[in-house]
Amino acid sequence: MILGLRAGSFVAFLLLWEWAARVPISFNFPTPWATFTALIDLIQSGAILGATLTSLQSLLLGFGSAVIAGVPLGLVMGVVRPIGRVGRVYLDLLIALPTAALIPLVILSFGINIISSAVIVFVFGAPFVTLNAYGGVRDVRPRLLEMARSFDVSWRQLFVHVVLPGAMPMVLAGIRYGLSRAFVGLIVAELLLSPFGLGRLIMMSRSMFEHDRMFAVVVWTLLLASTALAALARMEVRLLRWRA
Amino acid sequence: MAGVITPAQPVSIVVNGVSKAFGPVQALVDIHLTVRAGEFLSLIGPSGCGKTTLLKTIAGLVPADAGRIMVGDRNVTGPGRECSVVFQDFALLPWTTVQKNVEFGLLPRGVPAAERAELARRFIGKVGLGGFEEAYPAQLSGGMQQRVGLARALAVSPQVLLMDEPFASIDEQTRRLFQDDLLSLWSEERKTVVLVTHSMEEAIYLSDRVVVLSPRPGRMHQIIDIPLPRPREAGDVRATAQFAQLVDGLWKILKVLQ
Amino acid sequence: MTPPTVGETGFDQSDLGRSGLAAIAGLLVAWEGLGWLDISMFVPPVSDIAVAWWHLIGNGTLWNAGASSLVSLAKGFLPAAVLGVLIGLAMGRFAAVRHLLDVWVNVLMSAPLSALVPVLIALFGVRDTVVAATVFLFSFFVIVVNTVTGVRGTDRSLVEMARSFGIGEAALFVRVYLPAALPAVMLGLRMGAVQAVKGLVVGEMLISLVGLGERLIYYGNTFLLKELYAVIFSVLLVALLFSQVFQAADRALIRWK
Repeated sequence: MILGLRAGSFVAFLLLWEWAARVPISFNFPTPWATFTALIDLIQSGAILGATLTSLQSLLLGFGSAVIAGVPLGLVMGVVRPIGRVGRVYLDLLIALPTAALIPLVILSFGINIISSAVIVFVFGAPFVTLNAYGGVRDVRPRLLEMARSFDVSWRQLFVHVVLPGAMPMVLAGIRYGLSRAFVGLIVAELLLSPFGLGRLIMMSRSMFEHDRMFAVVVWTLLLASTALAALARMEVRLLRWRA
Repeated sequence: MAGVITPAQPVSIVVNGVSKAFGPVQALVDIHLTVRAGEFLSLIGPSGCGKTTLLKTIAGLVPADAGRIMVGDRNVTGPGRECSVVFQDFALLPWTTVQKNVEFGLLPRGVPAAERAELARRFIGKVGLGGFEEAYPAQLSGGMQQRVGLARALAVSPQVLLMDEPFASIDEQTRRLFQDDLLSLWSEERKTVVLVTHSMEEAIYLSDRVVVLSPRPGRMHQIIDIPLPRPREAGDVRATAQFAQLVDGLWKILKVLQ
Repeated sequence: MTPPTVGETGFDQSDLGRSGLAAIAGLLVAWEGLGWLDISMFVPPVSDIAVAWWHLIGNGTLWNAGASSLVSLAKGFLPAAVLGVLIGLAMGRFAAVRHLLDVWVNVLMSAPLSALVPVLIALFGVRDTVVAATVFLFSFFVIVVNTVTGVRGTDRSLVEMARSFGIGEAALFVRVYLPAALPAVMLGLRMGAVQAVKGLVVGEMLISLVGLGERLIYYGNTFLLKELYAVIFSVLLVALLFSQVFQAADRALIRWK
């Protein structure tokens, strides 16, 4: 029954799309079928796979750095209170600022290249990763810390056996949310920068009025991001199996 | 001293003039108490009498403002290897198995892994959880989780066992069985036990002496001897007239303090 | 739905202690110092930026851009809030509606919605309506998800209690479900507000026609660093102010909690 409703809503969506294309709401609106064929075409020609690889390079570089730098920094912030108090303020402000506003600044500073897009991905993702790692440490049940103290464990043992596992849920949630933000940054950066990746493909198709292609790439991008995030969520569940 | 866990001899606890305040609230004032080696002692009293605070100062988890505490030969300035604590909310690490939880206390003592595992298994069996070594705390009932907590506390062969309302979160039937198991484990390997409780029946059933504290500020009010014969888990102590008299006497003391 | 990760609910000024203010002051001082040392043309001193900002206020640039941005923000966020809460309530209350729509809502909430902006341009052309539509998209899904969580989280025993007094379905919804869902709805609106401003900037930058986003692109292209920083600062101000509105509303409405 549930499956039926979900399938039904998907069919309804396709029909709505088909109708919107035929009305036409705008001359630029391709039908679902046109989009699908354009997508097949792009896959076969290798264009979309090449663009995806380029985009993933920036993503890996930028978000990988964000995790490698952000998680330890967040953990340190959580353990060393004064650093945490100060760092928290900077991170809060950084997150309050719509990060896209920093994109022109980054492009000016680093030029139009993969470094720029990686930096943008970093700036979009790192604050959340860090702030959640920090929150994760603060989140550890005080009782567990007291229990560990009562057994006279060393600082290292306390960190490895109690603080780190206790912080893990929030660290992983932060990575997942940071990745979704990183994707946003990647797309905006590429739409603006244009020389690279999926964003370039979108803008190029648009400028050539090949709207079926453009739609195809957009759908592909959304699917790519959703799959990556879903995979992360799965991994998160497996790593946190101990939660009732 | 790493690696060696020897069966421990119980030691005495001497609390000498201990006071503790939390900001404006005076939790304990001038507590003098001697717990004999191998004795089972309960702390009881209305809310605000400082019984948990007193337990924590003995454990070295809370520093006293004044006075001195000796556990055996050691002057208490922090947590020590000769004491083990059992907590009311179990305080188990939820992300790891029963086995690993029981091994936890052995980590700082430098016990090699194989021996740790063996010790843990032995005590898991002793508390009646054999077969549950690979279970996670979330899969266990409250009573079972506390048994893990007890196994963990016993695995380090402490000379002193400190228990903070250990049965408060457990249902009555499970509690009674658990109390009997605790007594039989205690008689196997004698330790000095200090137990904080709200329950008069529990205090009298388990202890050699019951210490009553008065609230606001926490002070020693009275110490009651419990001359009931041991072993108590074997017979039907709770049905005896002597038991009822002791409970009634304790109630009369506590009633005044409420 | 998992509880919001740290940072999603916007900046709360009341969290700022003395050490917080000191941290900000310290940053500004360090920045000023670095600017004077002329380390890089990309780090102008704070004072120069402040001057440029003041100048832009004076000649009306920031007012015009800001006004346009705020209008787009309102045009996008208000429908998102109203529709989002309504649909969220429907989804929370009626399982059929929920199953019909939940896949879309959950997928689109974490998807990079910026990828849809070209689609919006294809729909509406290069106009400021696209900005409002982007704002709508960015905030809508968050509001829906939180509202659904709020309704579904209503204490079952409260519902049973009300039913046992013979209360009708409509009254049950208004008197039990709605108040119970209110904190979650407010949380959703706060998170939606944060997302709305992000959508605003993304949308304005991509169509590059009007508003603060357009100014960002313009000063970026023309290498006017001080002015660029000034606009970034203004964007931050808008974000903080908008989120403050909801912090205040949250505090006022949830007094009974």
